[in-house]
Amino acid sequence: MRNVVAVMQRELLSLFWSPIGYIVITGFWLVTGVLVCATKAFTPGQPAMLRDVFMWTPFVLTLIIPAISMRTLSEEYRTGTIESLMTAPVTDTQMVLGKYLASYIFYLVMIAGTLIYLVLMAIFGDPDWGSAAAAYLGLILVGLAFTAFGVFASSLTHNQIVAWILGAVPLMLVAWFAYFIVGQVEGWMREVLQQVNIMGRFGEFARGQVALDGVVFFIAAAFLFLFLTVKVVESRRWR
Amino acid sequence: MIEVRNLSKYYGTHRAVDNISFTVADGEIVGFLGPNGAGKTTTIRILTCFQPATSGSATVAGHDVFTESLAVRAAVGYMPENVPLYPEMRVREYLRFRGKLRGLDGTAREAAIDRVTQRCWLEDVINRPISQLSKGFRQRVGLADALLHNPPVLILDEPTVGLDPTQIRETRSLIRELAQDHTVILSSHILPEVEATCQRIIIIHKGKLVASGSPSELRERISEGAKVIAEIKGAPDEIGAAVRQLPGVTNVQAERRDGWTRLAVVAASDLRETIAQTAFTRGWAVRELHRDAASLEDFFVKIVTGAHEQE
Repeated sequence: MRNVVAVMQRELLSLFWSPIGYIVITGFWLVTGVLVCATKAFTPGQPAMLRDVFMWTPFVLTLIIPAISMRTLSEEYRTGTIESLMTAPVTDTQMVLGKYLASYIFYLVMIAGTLIYLVLMAIFGDPDWGSAAAAYLGLILVGLAFTAFGVFASSLTHNQIVAWILGAVPLMLVAWFAYFIVGQVEGWMREVLQQVNIMGRFGEFARGQVALDGVVFFIAAAFLFLFLTVKVVESRRWR
Repeated sequence: MIEVRNLSKYYGTHRAVDNISFTVADGEIVGFLGPNGAGKTTTIRILTCFQPATSGSATVAGHDVFTESLAVRAAVGYMPENVPLYPEMRVREYLRFRGKLRGLDGTAREAAIDRVTQRCWLEDVINRPISQLSKGFRQRVGLADALLHNPPVLILDEPTVGLDPTQIRETRSLIRELAQDHTVILSSHILPEVEATCQRIIIIHKGKLVASGSPSELRERISEGAKVIAEIKGAPDEIGAAVRQLPGVTNVQAERRDGWTRLAVVAASDLRETIAQTAFTRGWAVRELHRDAASLEDFFVKIVTGAHEQE
């Protein structure tokens, strides 16, 4: 556990040191700000609502989260620091977990910034605290899975931009494609798409429902990709 | 302390390390010598548990590198080639991070950091970001990191590459000093480097171990008889003919050099005294007479060029 924390602290230091971290975080806040305006969350005479903002957030996150995690392993490969790390008495699992947690904490800080809209809601109206809590739970869960996938993408390459593309493109495909196509197809394809329909699953949280199968889906996805990341890191030793 | 048995490593079909065996005793300083691409770094990476061997086994400090990897890593201080560091961290931050990974807590960690900063002359840069450090200082940070947990075994891959002459001398004397309480393996492709610091040299070429022994042992093995260099006043033909008649002479080269004759005499025994007497009785002036010790450099070059028979 101490090793996990040590790796995590170092990773956080790098994230908050690098300009990329700040670009990502401001980019995200800017886009959510635009979303708040575009979805007319605060229309005079209408009930103030963040539901549409929440609905669109995972689309944004498919691009943002891989940018947070793209450096985690690819930069270690590129600079060779992976060698000092993998020859220290740290297991590959501890190393991956530490890096994952750092990216995830950075994500949580970023998400926490959007709480300002909730505060505005409370000032100008009467927000539905229950559904807001469910939506944030949804964001916390989506972040778990997306971050794991981003770290996995980073473990595959030496180049952080390639890591970002490898992370963002599949997430976008699954999030957008599954969401728009799921109603158009029949049979087994529909079955599969329904299972991996991230937006559909998140939508339940955005509407204020905590769906247990959604909770399980996101946590299981996080475990799966963390496991795969550890395997990729281990396999790199053999090359 | 370190035992390597029949170690081989393939990258695909390329054989990087080919059936190497050697042992390193407690407290020894051993140098891996070989041209670039000889398999030094690969061997070191196997010993430090960065990469597994394809076949064979190795133990470090009594632990198997494959099955007890974490115990080996805890016992080894390793400075990888080119010393990879995190440029965004300050030296102290980096050493703290490494100390945590080494399982050092609070006060013990700070004490260890103080000890290695002193030992590696890092006091002046301890609060500077690593990205601003010169190559020499980065090398010292790498060394400080390797020493942090006071490991019984130190493994240094090309510790002086890229340093200026003063830094090289400082690093060498530091390594010699460290050998008093650590077992040290270092690698280099420069012979004088290894000769100056190590008690024993292991020469690796094309993945194979071609020679091993102390510098003087290696020198003895390669000195084919004794070679004497002399400069004598007179004509090369006359002097050459006279020297060729001396007992045990196998080869004489004589050439004119600004009025003097430079001789290179190879014989079964040391002929310095005989040559001096000959010159004296014939009334020739002598301005130089010395024995040419076979140099390790020649040996190394022979091995590298493939002239030496493979064992």
